Amino acid sequence: MNHIKSRIYLLLIFPLLFTFCDSKTTNQNNQVVIGISADVQTFNPLFTFSVDEGAITELLYLSLFDFRWNEQKGGIDEYPMLAKSWKWADDSSSVLIILRDDAYWTDGRQINVDDVIFSFDAYSDPLVQSRLYGSFKNLFVDDENHIELKKTFKVISSFEFEVNFPPYSVPNLYELSLAIIPSHILEDTEREELSNSEYNFKPVTSGSYYLKKWDKNQNIILAANKNSFLYDEEMIDEIIFKVVPDYTSKILQVKKEEIDLLELVKVEDIEEIRSNENLNIVPVIGREYDYVGLNNIDPEDYSKGELTPNKFFGNKNVRKAISHAINKKEILNEYLLGFGELAATPVSPIFRNVYNDDIIPYEFDITKSKELLANDGWYDVDEDGILEKGGEEFSFNLYYPAGNPLREFASMRVRNNLKAVGIDVRLETLELGTLIDYLFEKKMDAWMAGWYVPIPVELKPYWYSDLDSTPLNFASYGNNQVDSLLDLLQTKISSEMKRETVIAFQKIINEDEPVAFLYWTPNICVYNKRIDQINITPLGTVTHCWEWRLQ
Amino acid sequence: MEIAIKNKTVKISPPATVQTGKVLLKRFFSSILTLFLLVSLLFILIRLSPGDPTQKFVSAQLSPELSQKIAEKFLLNEPLLEQYYAFLSNVIKGDLGISYNYKLPVLRVVWDYFSFTLVFALLSICLQLIFSFLLAIFVSQRKNKVLSWGISNLALFVYSIPAFVLGVLLIYLFSVTIDVFPISGLNSLNYDSLSFGGKILDQLWHLILPLITLSAAGTAMFYKYIKEGIDNVRNQTYILNLKASGLKEKVILKKHVIPNAASPLISVAGIELGVLLGGALITEVIFSLPGMGRLTVDSILSRDYPLIIGCVLTAGVVMILTNFLADIIKIKFDKRLFKGLLN
Repeated sequence: MNHIKSRIYLLLIFPLLFTFCDSKTTNQNNQVVIGISADVQTFNPLFTFSVDEGAITELLYLSLFDFRWNEQKGGIDEYPMLAKSWKWADDSSSVLIILRDDAYWTDGRQINVDDVIFSFDAYSDPLVQSRLYGSFKNLFVDDENHIELKKTFKVISSFEFEVNFPPYSVPNLYELSLAIIPSHILEDTEREELSNSEYNFKPVTSGSYYLKKWDKNQNIILAANKNSFLYDEEMIDEIIFKVVPDYTSKILQVKKEEIDLLELVKVEDIEEIRSNENLNIVPVIGREYDYVGLNNIDPEDYSKGELTPNKFFGNKNVRKAISHAINKKEILNEYLLGFGELAATPVSPIFRNVYNDDIIPYEFDITKSKELLANDGWYDVDEDGILEKGGEEFSFNLYYPAGNPLREFASMRVRNNLKAVGIDVRLETLELGTLIDYLFEKKMDAWMAGWYVPIPVELKPYWYSDLDSTPLNFASYGNNQVDSLLDLLQTKISSEMKRETVIAFQKIINEDEPVAFLYWTPNICVYNKRIDQINITPLGTVTHCWEWRLQ
Repeated sequence: MEIAIKNKTVKISPPATVQTGKVLLKRFFSSILTLFLLVSLLFILIRLSPGDPTQKFVSAQLSPELSQKIAEKFLLNEPLLEQYYAFLSNVIKGDLGISYNYKLPVLRVVWDYFSFTLVFALLSICLQLIFSFLLAIFVSQRKNKVLSWGISNLALFVYSIPAFVLGVLLIYLFSVTIDVFPISGLNSLNYDSLSFGGKILDQLWHLILPLITLSAAGTAMFYKYIKEGIDNVRNQTYILNLKASGLKEKVILKKHVIPNAASPLISVAGIELGVLLGGALITEVIFSLPGMGRLTVDSILSRDYPLIIGCVLTAGVVMILTNFLADIIKIKFDKRLFKGLLN
């Protein structure tokens, strides 16, 4: 009797299981699934702060111009998008822009000059607190950094307008290329309320794709916008952003081909991924570098409002000695398995036009390191293996962020390397938020961190000596020559002059070694070969998806 | 209440409804006090901890003015006492503020995640109780020492496996090797094209591995409790009396053994349900599920102060409610406990 019962249960359970299995977890032919780690918090480009939010809104909204990476020159080229054409005034004091007349919002309304001007107004409004607030210094702005519309824009017709620039400014199209938002939908919303608006989750958009469905913390489904001028029949029907916070799950889904595209793949997974012949691996190097931060000023004196050189790292020869003592190549080969590139300065080799090829990263040379330290007066007087100067041992804390295995590994290597030259390093882990807090307060002598470099080249926020205006200069580096070069880059100069200035900047930075530059870390992208015409560049991976095709 | 009858003092208990009201009122006020202490302590702790919610707005590509504006909006530049006063008065009004990250009322964000956690936790606790009960009764009825020893040790083993190991192991076995369950997520890509029944089945299919991961340790724990309880009750003399009086084994088990064995379990189940409703972080992360655990941790990492308080307050409220519920169920089983609860 019991046997009969159990068989009845089995008969009931199995069809149920097969019903479940009929659901599709693998992607369909007209869809591409992109794995992301966290859900978005808005679809309104006014407030998109994360990389994924930026990639999604780029597909949802049109900008005036389109930018593409030019491998040869190592920079960006501009192309038409919402702006059909443009013409600069001879003295670059204004630009005349003509909009396309075949661009529409998803509710059917035509995009016109009103939308463009409304967008610039909203982005710069202090009440809105958009991601671009405070960054329109090349336009006419008031005391609160709000764009003065009358001075800046001259409307010629519904599809034609002129942008005027103040005499002191250095205008460029990149700064004018923001995602245009619909004025007819948002103009009646109080500016303070825009950030909490329902629109942020149910947007009216204009891009090559529109938001079809948002399954919170699961999937964001974008569907091809058939009314867009970018649409053609071969476009992929749906781009799905699948939220998978766990890295192991993401990798398993890539291998099972449930996810078509994934960024930030760990080097240790590459061999296994290579064994799947349907997957392609593309490492993008040059957007992020790691370094050992060396505080150029004394943290205690800084907290009292005084700027005095750091007792360990105030002298550039000591900083150079530390760079010579660290075996960067070993870390690169052992942890990153050769993916990556040694870094000599904060200027990335991707910027070919301005990159200084003559500068070579400091070589691993213990003898040279000891010599430099001795020249600065650091000797092991009591022969305990640690150098001393004026009775003080060369001993400091090196802080590194928790949850970053590469930086943890590198910190240990740095400790061992520096021990060999007589420097005692005590490792301390800090939660990332706390570490960032300490960086802003300039509380630490040394730390392990990294920087993501912006495109185009941006140097002043990190290396200018006025610490009040450049809080990101964590090492508190200061050099008058560098300041002059950085000031020069903020003025109207020719591209050749700009190139020479950046090259000169790298030379001085290499000579001063404000921090110990380690290596450019790779962003390893994996994608399924069924995606064709995908162009992964330093500008990004999920860009220009309307040009992707499926094999 | 006390009255004097012919020089004697006689204690008269108030009617049951009055007593129940008193208990409820007492519990209500002590719960409010607990929650007040919880949120106050949390407010102080998160403000004392290093880190700043405007950190994410500071980069070379964002202007320093933006982080200043946002700090002003979040009242972060105000004195701490003023922030605390504003926070408390808002909490009393039922307004937990706007999440810094989601730019939405905290209660709305919490509800989005709590609704899933509620279903997930209830399913899990039901599974834990049903399986542990069935297993304990099955083993008890067999009276086989080897089987009992084997299952006891197996329960201990299962209880010791961390959720992240079990989850990954289940994924490897059932999703990668034999490919019968999905690796992660709550529904399939073709979910919208499924019928209503198909949608429910699809979500259940996605929840099988997470539920096993979440429920395994609890099932093992409950099994040990129930098995021990059943064994203890079975050895009581009144059970022997019942047996001697010729009552059927099934009736003794159903009417006498199980109710008495279940009584201590109810408190534990109440606490377990409270913990589950607070979020199951590991399971949620491994299987990409939108639950309270992930929301709480994300809010802490991004220093989203109003959301942290919203999440902790929710966890506190559900913990108090589930414990209260457990007490009421316990009284249903054993009226003698009412006095204890009153005290």
